Amino acid sequence: MNFFGFLLGLATFLIIGLGFVWVIRGERYLGYLWWPYVIGLGALVVLGSLFIRSDWGSALLGAFGASLIWGSTELKEQAIRAELGWFPFNGRKIHPPLKAIIGKWKAPHL
Amino acid sequence: MSINLIGLTAALFAFLGIWLGHVSVRAIERNARKLWPPIIIALALGLALEAISLSTVHRLLSTATGILGITILWDALEFVRQEKRIKKGHAPANPDNPRHARVLADYPSATTLDLLKRDPVGHPVAHDEAVKLGTDH
Repeated sequence: MNFFGFLLGLATFLIIGLGFVWVIRGERYLGYLWWPYVIGLGALVVLGSLFIRSDWGSALLGAFGASLIWGSTELKEQAIRAELGWFPFNGRKIHPPLKAIIGKWKAPHL
Repeated sequence: MSINLIGLTAALFAFLGIWLGHVSVRAIERNARKLWPPIIIALALGLALEAISLSTVHRLLSTATGILGITILWDALEFVRQEKRIKKGHAPANPDNPRHARVLADYPSATTLDLLKRDPVGHPVAHDEAVKLGTDH
């Protein structure tokens, strides 16, 4: 029996679960306009996984990078959920650099 | 320097698994007359993928099937959770599906509107305004 993929699946499941937590908190305190930075960070993390010699290290980094990219596409909907009162709304967010420019871009959603 | 493709494989299949969970669970729950057939299929598919993952010596295949299998097993539960979102009005009901038509009749909070389908406005939004914002475009 090869437990690598099964255990990695469980670990990935936890990483995705963590995604729910940081998307909710991140949107509340920072706002959804941070999305381009989160996508960029996710891409860098996945790219970095290519150079990790340990299979476990590389795999966990890859799964984490993918969850960052996915989470970045969830931030906009999370902002709307907070506006609707489904989650606490925070009006004093720490805005990202270049907020005015990012605001003109269409936030991705899948 | 050698390249380790395990991480990229994990990333692709984690992304695929999350995407399947998001998009296909919503689409199937919206159209399925009964929820138990997709739940049984998701459980069987997830278990089959885990069986492949446990029995192969190939690390990339074990990675791909291991991750995808667990996410699809979770999707079996997500069918039930999605129906709860429909009852709360957090996801739009499909009036052409008899199961959803019953939910619309039984739960005053259920709606056919997708209240999330708009851009954020930056302030709390009351229900009436949310309906207006959601139907404006």
